[in-house]
Amino acid sequence: MNCDEVSALLAAEVDGEVDPLRSHALRKHAAGCTGCGARLEAIAETRRRLRSELPYHAARAAFRVRLAASLSTASPVRAAKAGRWRWFGGGLAAGVLASGLVWVTSTAGLQAPFGADLPTRLVGLHTRATLGNHLIEVASPDRHTIKPWLSARLDYAIPVVDAAGAGYALMGARIDRLDGRAVAVLVYRHRTHIIDVFVRPASGGTATAGSTVRGFNVAQAEGAAMQWLAASDLNADELAVFVTALAQGRLGE
Amino acid sequence: MVHLDAGHNLARWLTRDASDAEDVVQDACLRAMKYMGTLHAQDGRAWFLTIVRRAFYDWLARNRPALLARDDESAFESLADEADNPEQALMHKTERLALAEAVAALPLPFREVIVLRELEDLSYKEIARIADIPVGTVMSRLSRARRLLQGAAALRGFDSTGAGGDA
Repeated sequence: MNCDEVSALLAAEVDGEVDPLRSHALRKHAAGCTGCGARLEAIAETRRRLRSELPYHAARAAFRVRLAASLSTASPVRAAKAGRWRWFGGGLAAGVLASGLVWVTSTAGLQAPFGADLPTRLVGLHTRATLGNHLIEVASPDRHTIKPWLSARLDYAIPVVDAAGAGYALMGARIDRLDGRAVAVLVYRHRTHIIDVFVRPASGGTATAGSTVRGFNVAQAEGAAMQWLAASDLNADELAVFVTALAQGRLGE
Repeated sequence: MVHLDAGHNLARWLTRDASDAEDVVQDACLRAMKYMGTLHAQDGRAWFLTIVRRAFYDWLARNRPALLARDDESAFESLADEADNPEQALMHKTERLALAEAVAALPLPFREVIVLRELEDLSYKEIARIADIPVGTVMSRLSRARRLLQGAAALRGFDSTGAGGDA
């Protein structure tokens, strides 16, 4: 590599975007060339300073509250024109297009039959909750707080466990509407992933296998006379293992 | 909402105003709700940042059309005509500014890639998707933006050591 080739790649090198082979050649050149070496170090220094000195503008609490209020009154609209989003990967399956109405279903409280679109509806509820800041109505890692809160709002009681020991920290809970009735939703965090676990009395209906909707995974299990349905961007395998262990009471304490 | 802070941060850097940023984010959230049903989002953050960015440019066209006309890359290219050295021309404007102010003073095409790269730590590929430009353009804009900021930072360092003082 000569100085011209190297200087074209210096910034990319600092960003870790140069392939290993060229990166090696570049580093070798920079080690022996004062000009390129100094420029490489100068870019790295600028990058360090940017990262340490630039303020990160997180949303203000007051704005979050205002936003949540305005979003909850906003009417859901059926999405159109998905073509330009195709780069999100995988294109759009017909079933995914059909799920554009999921918001209408969830907010209007329409009685939808328990059917093959359950995963889509669960993902709709999950994404809507995370987006609209309604993820958690009672925020607490303490199951003794959450359990009575849920019991007071439901006609059934569910086991609540904090699985922080297994890496699944209980964050809180909310009530959501699924198939026309109020259901408990336990919210867990695993690493950076938020997991919604919908818990309702087992109906003896057909068990659905795990599935993926718009990049979110859905897994389900039965236990303690309840049906446990988990929706998250966590990978399918871990999600299935978690919800099964949760349903069978093998987690917590 | 999980990526609200990332969206807000981007909007704040682009608008350079707290209340304008909140307007943009609110609009973006409404759009996100609208599109949610049809998306196959692999990465929620990149997806939401794309929407925030679009919401911002629409907001800019509505509210500050003059700025949109002036603050594009061609405007930046024209700096080259005004001075022998385009870096020097902008450096002149930014030399007395702190680094954060220097970033805020960057033309939009450079500011957005810097924020996405340094504050959100996104890859060139992700930035290319969000800003709807080729990866090579991401690389060249980042490179030029950093050179400009390097100048600003170096001069500021010079000042703060007092070594530049013949005052």
